Amino acid sequence: MIDALRFETTRIRTLRSTYWLIGLGLLLTAGVALIITLATIDEPLDDNLVRDTLTGGGEFATFIPIFMAIIGIFAAGHEYRHGTIQPTLLAIPQRTTILTAKVTIVMVTALLVAVASLAINFGVGALVWGEAPDITSSPLNDALLGYIVLVVIYGALGVALAQLFRGVPSAIVVLLITPMLVEQLIAGLSMLDALDWLQPALKFLPFAAGTRLLATEDYTHTDGPDFDYLDRWASGGVFAGFTLLVLLVAWLLFKKRDA
Amino acid sequence: MITVQGLRKRYGNKLAVDDLTFDVQPGVVTGFLGPNGAGKSTTMRLMLDLDHGAGETRFDGRRFDEIRHPMHEIGAVLEAKAFHPTRTARNHLRMLAAGSRIPRKRVDEVLDFVGLTGVRGKKPKGFSLGMSQRLGLAQAMLGDPGTLILDEPANGLDPHGIHWLRDVLKTLAGQGRTIFVSSHLLSEMSLMADELVVIGQGKMIFNGEVDVFVRQFTQSTVLVKTPSATDFAETLKGMGATVDPAPDGGLLVSGADASVIGELAHRDGIVLHELATRSASLEEAFITATGASEEYVAHDVTAGPPPETPPPTDSQPVQETGDDTTDKPAGGAA
Repeated sequence: MIDALRFETTRIRTLRSTYWLIGLGLLLTAGVALIITLATIDEPLDDNLVRDTLTGGGEFATFIPIFMAIIGIFAAGHEYRHGTIQPTLLAIPQRTTILTAKVTIVMVTALLVAVASLAINFGVGALVWGEAPDITSSPLNDALLGYIVLVVIYGALGVALAQLFRGVPSAIVVLLITPMLVEQLIAGLSMLDALDWLQPALKFLPFAAGTRLLATEDYTHTDGPDFDYLDRWASGGVFAGFTLLVLLVAWLLFKKRDA
Repeated sequence: MITVQGLRKRYGNKLAVDDLTFDVQPGVVTGFLGPNGAGKSTTMRLMLDLDHGAGETRFDGRRFDEIRHPMHEIGAVLEAKAFHPTRTARNHLRMLAAGSRIPRKRVDEVLDFVGLTGVRGKKPKGFSLGMSQRLGLAQAMLGDPGTLILDEPANGLDPHGIHWLRDVLKTLAGQGRTIFVSSHLLSEMSLMADELVVIGQGKMIFNGEVDVFVRQFTQSTVLVKTPSATDFAETLKGMGATVDPAPDGGLLVSGADASVIGELAHRDGIVLHELATRSASLEEAFITATGASEEYVAHDVTAGPPPETPPPTDSQPVQETGDDTTDKPAGGAA
């Protein structure tokens, strides 16, 4: 396993896309943080404002999670797109080991980037506000921790989707289409009287559940479907469970299919 | 030594590899031949556990998945451009070295060995096919393995490169390594390989020495040039030989060796201007041996216009029929 981790570490470090995805993610998120702080400079600091600043958009903070998912997609998808799966498996034939190493290294990368992004945005906020916000009290501390967990899960999901589809484009499409179109469509349909039986299931929509990791207050159904999400960590568990399921299917197919 | 036992692979209804069994000995270059679609690449992928199928391949007695660091023992390249286009040649090899506990200095050694030191920091997306082949060979040599498995390594190499590759593989074989290499360049293979594994439509056609293969699947002819060609041809036919006109004049005689023809000419007082045994080439032997098992057959431009009948559907491989080579036995298989 150590050898596979060293292989994957070298693989991710020797790819230029790793650096521009991380750099762009940090830069864009810091830019959003700067815009939020400048736009709200006269408002009192509350949990929502601090969370939105530090994560670069709160529940709409997508740059870092998506970019980490793309790094995960590249980790597995490039192997098939460029045919490197052959030399990879000739060096490390144990398929479970190499897939585990890929997921591990991407998750660690995502963790470091999420923490770095929070730190940068904290600096941006402190600079503009002229004071360092308190991030140790609940629910802000839990929301920030949830943000890190969300980013890490997105990274793992990227690997899982690319391994499942054995390529880059399909994985990116699923990653973007599912939360933006499919889950939005189901939520919208559940607001029709004839389909309101869908509402209890909405809490299990994985991407929507994942965003609850960043929540600082309960979900209110003003102008939206009438249902209650699971609590923060249970919702995170739904997203993690979905990712694990995709990863499990991808792993089984990886073991079974020809390389 | 590589021991291949009962390899079999099926894609739907098509049996791509059909119960292949052969050994690849150390100390010699073993060529792997077969027409397009014969199953060469699939066989190599099965040997290296890249594809799943029946049968077993052992490298010095061990299966591929039992070897802890395969690159130290088996160097293989099955695709010429199996690298990320923007990862430099050096980093590509460093990545593989990192996963196989190979010292980083070895990366520069193999790049120097294949002549890519000057472009080690370049991205392979700009590499020619020949340069890609060299990088592939560097990858295979990274762990200084005792076994090399190379699929069409000469593709894209210029004449100097091909000459270099031949010398490298023969030298490595001379060091006692096991070299298994496929190629479509039959003239090159005849100079490079000592042993052959020849397959057609996934089945074994021949496994043995190159010379035996050529002898088994071809017939030597004797070129005879004489001013009395017409009379002498009748004489030769009368003693059972086959006589055809040679392209550059004279007679091509098969079924009688040069000494018999010379004695016959002396007996009949025939003047001979030339009497030369013409050995068959590996290419001729290959075409004879695999003619019946070609998967994809184009129209012969010397055989006139294509037939008016519609071609077979793509689900039915086109088979060459009516060829006198089709009845050749698939003998010699080990």
